[in-house]
Amino acid sequence: MSISVSIGLSTEKNALLAAQLAARQALLNLREPNASLAIVFSSVEFARDEILAAIADIVEPAPIVGCSSLAVISNQGIFKYGILIALFSLPEGIYLNVACSEEIDSKPALEAGRELGDKLLYGFRNIRRDFAVIFSDGLMRDGNGMLEGLQERLGTSFPLLGGSASDDLSFEKTYVYFNRKVSSHGACGILWGGKVNFGLGIRHGWKPLGKPRYITKSAGNIVYEIDGESATNVYEEYFARDLSGLQKDSKKISTLYPIGIYLPEEQGYLLRNITSIEDNGSLVFQGNVPQGSLIRLMIGTNDSCLDATKEALEEAGKNLAQRHVDFLLVFESASRYRILGRQIKEELQLIENKLGKNIPVFGIYTYGEQAPLRAINYQGKAYFHNQTVALLAAGA
Amino acid sequence: MLTFEMLTNIIGIASLLTIITLAMVIISKGERIKQLQGKIATLEKSLNEMDEQAKLIVRTDMELNKTQDELDKKMTGLYALQILSRQISTSLEESQIFKILKETMSFQELGFEKACAFLWDSLEGKFILHTDIGCLEDAAESIKSSVNSDKEKYLGLIKEAKSFSCTASSECADEQFAQEIKESFGVESFIIAPVLPKEGNQGFMLAGTKAKDTVINKGDQELISILANQLGEALENARLFEKTWRAQQELERKVTERTGDLTKALGEVKTISKRKSDFISAVSHELRTPLTSIKGYASILLAGKLGALPAEIRERLDKINRHSDELVHMINELLDIARIESGKVGMKKESLELQGIIIGVIELLSVQAKEKEIDLSYKIAEQAKFVSADREQLKRVFINIVSNAIKFTPPKGKITIQARKIDNMAQLDISDTGYGIPQEAQEAVFEEFYRVDNAINQEIRGTGLGLALVKRIIEAHNGKIWLKSKAGAGSTFSFTLPQTN
Repeated sequence: MSISVSIGLSTEKNALLAAQLAARQALLNLREPNASLAIVFSSVEFARDEILAAIADIVEPAPIVGCSSLAVISNQGIFKYGILIALFSLPEGIYLNVACSEEIDSKPALEAGRELGDKLLYGFRNIRRDFAVIFSDGLMRDGNGMLEGLQERLGTSFPLLGGSASDDLSFEKTYVYFNRKVSSHGACGILWGGKVNFGLGIRHGWKPLGKPRYITKSAGNIVYEIDGESATNVYEEYFARDLSGLQKDSKKISTLYPIGIYLPEEQGYLLRNITSIEDNGSLVFQGNVPQGSLIRLMIGTNDSCLDATKEALEEAGKNLAQRHVDFLLVFESASRYRILGRQIKEELQLIENKLGKNIPVFGIYTYGEQAPLRAINYQGKAYFHNQTVALLAAGA
Repeated sequence: MLTFEMLTNIIGIASLLTIITLAMVIISKGERIKQLQGKIATLEKSLNEMDEQAKLIVRTDMELNKTQDELDKKMTGLYALQILSRQISTSLEESQIFKILKETMSFQELGFEKACAFLWDSLEGKFILHTDIGCLEDAAESIKSSVNSDKEKYLGLIKEAKSFSCTASSECADEQFAQEIKESFGVESFIIAPVLPKEGNQGFMLAGTKAKDTVINKGDQELISILANQLGEALENARLFEKTWRAQQELERKVTERTGDLTKALGEVKTISKRKSDFISAVSHELRTPLTSIKGYASILLAGKLGALPAEIRERLDKINRHSDELVHMINELLDIARIESGKVGMKKESLELQGIIIGVIELLSVQAKEKEIDLSYKIAEQAKFVSADREQLKRVFINIVSNAIKFTPPKGKITIQARKIDNMAQLDISDTGYGIPQEAQEAVFEEFYRVDNAINQEIRGTGLGLALVKRIIEAHNGKIWLKSKAGAGSTFSFTLPQTN
C-alpha cells in the first residue's frame, strides 16, 4: 500500500475561510477518514494561532507541522498568497513522530538542536529510522549549530532534509507551525520510520570563479577577513565598487554571487548568501563560514539554476531506485525565486515532466536548506545550505 | 699490496669524486628549484590573470543581470499592459473593468505585491476602493479608512494630475505625504498615479511594495501612469456608453408607455363606438315599431277606408306619410350602419360584373338625371371588369354617390363613372361637374349626420347618413373611400374594391 497524500489549497481572501476550505478539501480527497499527519505551508498572512486552530478542528487527530513561506509551491502553481495543507494517511508498517522546540533563540543553537533531536526520538524505539524533515526559523543566527545538535542525537550521517521558513522577503519574522501554535523562534520536525522508500536530491547549479581564497578570520556566520584583508575588500575588488556601492546592491550580489565553501571530503561547494555588508568591512552570511575554509566566488545563470532542478530530480529519482513515488517535497531557496523571476513556473514544468501530473508536489521557499551535500549516497552528512533546491521523493 | 699511501689516494680520489658528484647534484637541484620557482611564478601570474578575468566576468555579468532585470520588468509591464488594454477596451461596465485589472495585471511581476485603485464618490464625499490586490480583508478596510481620513491630500493629487513615486531609500517630493501613504498602505516604496476619466468621478491608483531595496525608475513610473491613463480612458468609455444606453432605455420606456396609452385610448374609443352602435341599434328598433303604426294609420286614413277626408287633412296626412317614410329610411340606414359596424351584417361577397350593376344604377336614376339634363356616362377598363362584392350593398353605394352627384350638380352637368385597376384593386371614380365640397368639409362628409353647410343643402333634403353608410360598406369590403373636390369645380368620389378574375 502506498502513502496517501491529499492536498488542499486556497487563495481565498479571508484567511480563516481559506484555511478551512483548504483543510476540508484535503480531507475530502484523502483515502482514509482520518489523517496521520498534516503539513501546512502558507504565506505569512496565515501565521496566526486561530488559523491553525481552525485547521486542527478539521484535521485532528492528525498533528500539524509546517511553516511560513514567501510563496507556496504546489502542482497547481506557485502562490504568493495562499495556504496549502497536505494530509497524509500511512499504510501499515510506516511510522512517524513529530516534535517542536520553541524559543530556540533563548538557548544555544546546539542545545536547541539536541532538544529537538531528543523529542523526535522519544517513543521511537525498535523501529527502523528512515529520515527526518525539519522546519526552522529562517532568521535564526546559527542554523548550523542546530543542525549539529540534531546530528548528535539522530546520527551524524542520518538522512535529513530541512527548510528554514521565509517571510515576504522583508526578513522580519518567519514562523513555524506546530499543532495549534505559531512560533517565530521555533524548530519542528517529522521523523519517519519503517518501510519508507525515499530519495534526496540537492543542487545549486553555481560554478566557482576566480582565485581560491581563505577565510582568515570568522566567527559563526560573520566573516571578518579573507586572505588577511578586510572581508569586503574582496567584493570591492571584484565588483569595482566602494563599500556603500556594495551595500546598495547587496541583495543582487547576495543572490547572484554567493560564496562557495569548498569541502574537500565531499569534493563540492557549499553556498552561502550574504545577508548584510557591514560598515566595518565584515560580511554576514546566511549560515556559518568556518575560519580556515577555502572559498570561491560563485556565479550562475537562470539556465544553470534550472539545470540544477533537473539534476536534483534525477538524483532523488536515482536514490529512490525506481521505486514508486507517493509525494515530492520541495525546499527551494528564496534566492532562486528572485533569480528565476518569470521563469519560476518552468521549474514546476520540469518537475511535472519528470513525475507526471498525478504525484502530489508541495513545498516552500526557504531562507536556508539542510541536506547532505552530495546525496548520491544519502548516508551523507547534512549541511546547512543556501541557494539550493532540495527535493525529497518518498513512497511506500 | 695496498699501501697506506695508495689507500689514502684511493680515498682521496673517491672523496673527490663524491664531492664532484655531490656538487653536480646540488647544481642540478638548484637549477630544478630555479625552474620550479619559475613555473610557480608563471602559475601564480596566470592565476592572478585569471582572477582579473574573473573580475571582468563578474562585473559584466552583474551589468548584464541588471539590464536583464530591467528588460524583464519592461517586458512584463508592456505585456501586461497589452493584455489589459485589449481586455479593458472591450468591457463597457465599470465593475468589469476593475475586475479585469485585478485578474490580468501582474503587478507582482513588476515588483509590486500591493496595488489599489480608488475612485472619489462625489455623492458620498469619500473615496471608494474598487481594486485591491495583495491585501487581506481587514488590511483593505484600514487602507480605506486611512485614505478617507486624509482625503484632501489625495484629492489634491488628482487635481494636480501628477503621479509621484517614493522608495525606502530615496528622497521623496512630499516627504510627509509620502510617509503617510507608506503607513496607510503598508508599503516601503510606491508609485501613485491619478486616474482621470473626463466623464464622472476621478481617482487614483497605487502600486507598492514592502521590499526595502526596491528601485523605482522613470520607466516604472511611466508604466504605472500609462496604466492609470488606460484605466481612466476605459472608465470614460464605459460611462459614455452607460449614458447613451440609459438615454436609449429612457426613450424606449417612453415609447412603450405612449404605445400603452394609445392602445388604451383606442380600446376606449372602440368600446364607446360599440356602445354608440348598440344604442343606435336599440333606439332605431324602438322607433321603428311606433313609426310603422303611424305610417299604417296614415295609409289607412289616406286610402279613405275611414271615410273621405277633406283636402286639408289629406295634405297634412301626406306630409305625415312622407316624413314617416323619410324617418323609416333614416332609421334603416342608421340600423344598417350599426349592423355593419358591429359586424352583425356580413357582406355576401360574390364575383360581380361591374357593367351590369352600373347600368342598373344609371337606369334607376335616369329620370332624375334627365330632369336636370345631366349626362350620365361610364367607362370600365378591361382589367377592372369584375369585383368581389355584395351585390345589393354595392348597388347602394353607387345609388348613394350618383344620386348625391345628381343632387349637387347644376343642370346640364356631367357625371362619369370610371373603373380601372390600380394596385390589384378595382378603383371606381365617380366625377361630377357639381358645386364641389369645400376643403374643410371633405373629411367630415363621411361622418354620420354631417351635411355641408351651404345654400344647396338647405334646399335639398337629406339624412346625412348616406355617405357614412357608404364608407362602412366599402370598409366592410376591405376597400377605401375618399374624395377630391374643389368648391365650384366638381367632385370625384373614389373607392376601391377587391377584384376577381
